[in-house]
Amino acid sequence: MHPILEEFCDKWVWPTMPGAPGAAFRLKLTREHCLKGWEIALERTLAEIEQDLANNDENWKREKALRGYAAEGVAMSIKQMSGQLLSVDIADQERYIDLQRMRARQIWDECKHSKLHADVLLGKGWVKNERELMDIAAANTQPLPAYFGLSMMFAHIHPLARAAQNYYQEAIACLGIMATLDRVADPLVRHEHLSQRDEELMHFMEGKFQIDFLCTTPQTQQPVEEALGYLLHQVGGIR
Amino acid sequence: MASLKIDHARCTECRMCYIVCREIDLNAVYVALEPLHRIEIDAAKCTYPGCTACLMYCPAEGSIIEAESGRSLVPPPPEAWRS
Repeated sequence: MHPILEEFCDKWVWPTMPGAPGAAFRLKLTREHCLKGWEIALERTLAEIEQDLANNDENWKREKALRGYAAEGVAMSIKQMSGQLLSVDIADQERYIDLQRMRARQIWDECKHSKLHADVLLGKGWVKNERELMDIAAANTQPLPAYFGLSMMFAHIHPLARAAQNYYQEAIACLGIMATLDRVADPLVRHEHLSQRDEELMHFMEGKFQIDFLCTTPQTQQPVEEALGYLLHQVGGIR
Repeated sequence: MASLKIDHARCTECRMCYIVCREIDLNAVYVALEPLHRIEIDAAKCTYPGCTACLMYCPAEGSIIEAESGRSLVPPPPEAWRS
């Protein structure tokens, strides 16, 4: 296991509330599926960072900040998260209200992240103010499937599938931040990532909590397994 | 008896501890009646070290500490979760 992944697991994945009813299921999923995906994602990120650093120019920082702004800008945040808020039916809200709270909180977080990407672009002098970003296509389009894309609108997705997404995908976000902080010295890029570190970890913890407490029967575990399979195989290309 | 408290210099106010504590019906974590509405832990209701649930879901390193020793419990030390 890569040392960064090992550190992440030791600090945040393995510590488990004694008696948490869904914890055994989460730990089994982690060992049998997530670790492999996390390792591959981390290796990909590290390779990308090494390639960026070898370029000897700063264009990658601009591209990443624009891409980040597109994925986490204010308009995108409202669109993606309002869709997900609507994915918990009225009848399910009593049981899954925390999932809606989780999404509501994420709108705020994403909006804050977009400011950090703008900070890089402003700090490097690539834009004079945030309004200029409205005219740059790369800052307003993103190709991400599923998690931040159209499938979030599918009404048939079980509320707990979102918990699986939080657990698996946000761990990848955390690992990406750890990798960046491990390799990149630029203070603005570090700021861009450092400020997101605790928040991405919070989203991961939301998923961990939901699985530990709510995924206690085959009926509530199935949507998590299905979402994880989709993320691993269809999105991640991992077999 | 050991007790927990929040280190407000490290806490991000995400409220995961509040959610978890409420879920297990302890309700020891509460929102303080002060202008910043910060998270606090009621030592009279908290059963630490018997319960360590909030420690397992806190994402902000160093933000929950042992009040008496000042020791950070996030991420959770092994004795907080290994039986």
